Amino acid sequence: MNSKPTAHSSQLTAQSSKLTLAIPSGERSKAFALRTLRQAGLEIPELEDSRSLRFEFPDVTLLLVKDPDVPVYVDVGVADCGVVGKDWILESGRDNYEPVDLGGNQYRFSLITLAQEKPRIERVATKYPRATRDFLQKLGMAADVIPLNGKIELAALTGLADAIVDIVETGRTLKENGLIEKQVLLELSTRFIVNRAALKLKAQRLRNFIHALENNAKS
Amino acid sequence: MRLIPDGTRYYPPQDEAWRERLSSQLEQVLHGWGYDPVQTPSLEVFNPTHPLADKGFKLVDRDGTVLMLRGEYTTSVANLVQTLPQPTYPVRLRYTGTLWVRTRDAELGRQREYTQVGAELLGVATPLADAEILFLALECLDAVGFPKAAVEIGHPGFVKAVLEATNLEPTEIALLRTAVHRKNASELHGLLEQYQVQGQTRQAVLRLIDLYGDVGVLEEAAEIAISDAAKAALEEVRAVAALLPPERFLFDLGIARGLDYYTGMIFQAYTPDFGQPLCGGGRYNAGLPAVGFSVGLERLMTALGEAPSLETAIAISTSLAAAQGLRAKGQRVIQAWTHDQAQLEAAAQAWGVPYLILEKQTIRLSDGATVQLEDL
Repeated sequence: MNSKPTAHSSQLTAQSSKLTLAIPSGERSKAFALRTLRQAGLEIPELEDSRSLRFEFPDVTLLLVKDPDVPVYVDVGVADCGVVGKDWILESGRDNYEPVDLGGNQYRFSLITLAQEKPRIERVATKYPRATRDFLQKLGMAADVIPLNGKIELAALTGLADAIVDIVETGRTLKENGLIEKQVLLELSTRFIVNRAALKLKAQRLRNFIHALENNAKS
Repeated sequence: MRLIPDGTRYYPPQDEAWRERLSSQLEQVLHGWGYDPVQTPSLEVFNPTHPLADKGFKLVDRDGTVLMLRGEYTTSVANLVQTLPQPTYPVRLRYTGTLWVRTRDAELGRQREYTQVGAELLGVATPLADAEILFLALECLDAVGFPKAAVEIGHPGFVKAVLEATNLEPTEIALLRTAVHRKNASELHGLLEQYQVQGQTRQAVLRLIDLYGDVGVLEEAAEIAISDAAKAALEEVRAVAALLPPERFLFDLGIARGLDYYTGMIFQAYTPDFGQPLCGGGRYNAGLPAVGFSVGLERLMTALGEAPSLETAIAISTSLAAAQGLRAKGQRVIQAWTHDQAQLEAAAQAWGVPYLILEKQTIRLSDGATVQLEDL
């Protein structure tokens, strides 16, 4: 890690700059987060295959949490920063800094209906109730939001809901189930988020790290 | 039925004694700087234009008027000042009391019912007044045990002026503001591309999110002060910064909260390894120019960690006269509730009370020795 003082360094920002990071525990998002962080110069040894929730290294502490919880750990300041999808950032409504788009998996929030569309959409099922309410409001749609925990497609297929809002990557599952992506609501990607106090008190280290992440995301 | 509502809590003696002590330490500092105490009603008449109108607890008065539990002090303290007969400005006021926020999630460092200590300096708009409040905030944090706390200063007028220089529609500026507030570089790039903001203005908006650090950022900010309003806002920050020692002050000219409320500098204080601000404040106008700040006591307690132990009494006394004599000297003495010496000794041991005062003698409980009452 480059610790050369920048133009803005001071005693205030030099103290205690070990970083605590919250990253998603899911295999695929965890792998992406670790790869991206390492490429930007963070020294993270190989995580031993264990059921550990927390990994302590000389330079960094890693917290492995569920995707939706990453913005929470960062907002309350238990973690200084984290890696998480834009979908969960929107859903959390948390007031974090979001300085870097890490790219990664390209996916999108979409409004999905049966191929044989209902005349009116009155109920929308989703894993993302807060984000969905915001989308519906922007679209001027007066529909109820039904929060579910997974296998959202089934809600549309069984009539539990008239439509669903979910993330779509390839759209293959939708096709196989006779569903159509009626409208793309937002393009999504993985982001680096930072706690408001941490960015200021660990400014020197985080500023350098953010620039390294940005440079890697561009190349 | 729930025992107590979410985001509220019981304060047993150890915690409440601690909270009281923090409160009086802060009040002591404010008192020393000439701030006089005021209090406002916990029940306020609901005003839909109040900044916390959507977030407060509402009640209905007997005539049907909607009331709201006090959610912040600044507005009502400013109203209180308007009722003072011919005050000599500037007026310095302090307050301590409970606030309620209905919509907040109860979590680490965040409660729905909490206690705030704060100060307002009203009727003056000078850099010296701004600097006074900043010094005061830092001295308050020092007094309660945050010697490494740093204060970060911004000016929402600067962000506002730079964004308005784009000449975009208010809805577009609102989206840019959100991206700046979140230091979201990729979204900011995308929006500027979409709105076709070019050249110097584009560079200025992009640089807003990187203007944090020590006093050096004020020089960088000068490079993107692209309008008279931006120059004026930056000049205000510089005038205050010139009065501050550099060691404990940071700057962020990209702070974009409270754009429509604060009229001048705004600040928050942070301490290492605690991810939430310890206090906050800024300059506003409430019918008269004012600057103030406030501290949440429960947040301080979370950041400090463990509650200190309760102050133990020096003795349990069966003699009222002896006890009164010690109390007059400022000692804490517990009155005996029984003549059963064994029971008194057991309680003294449990509480860590070192002496037992009987009618004829005073016993040191650690070794059973008889001591003179005067030696206590």
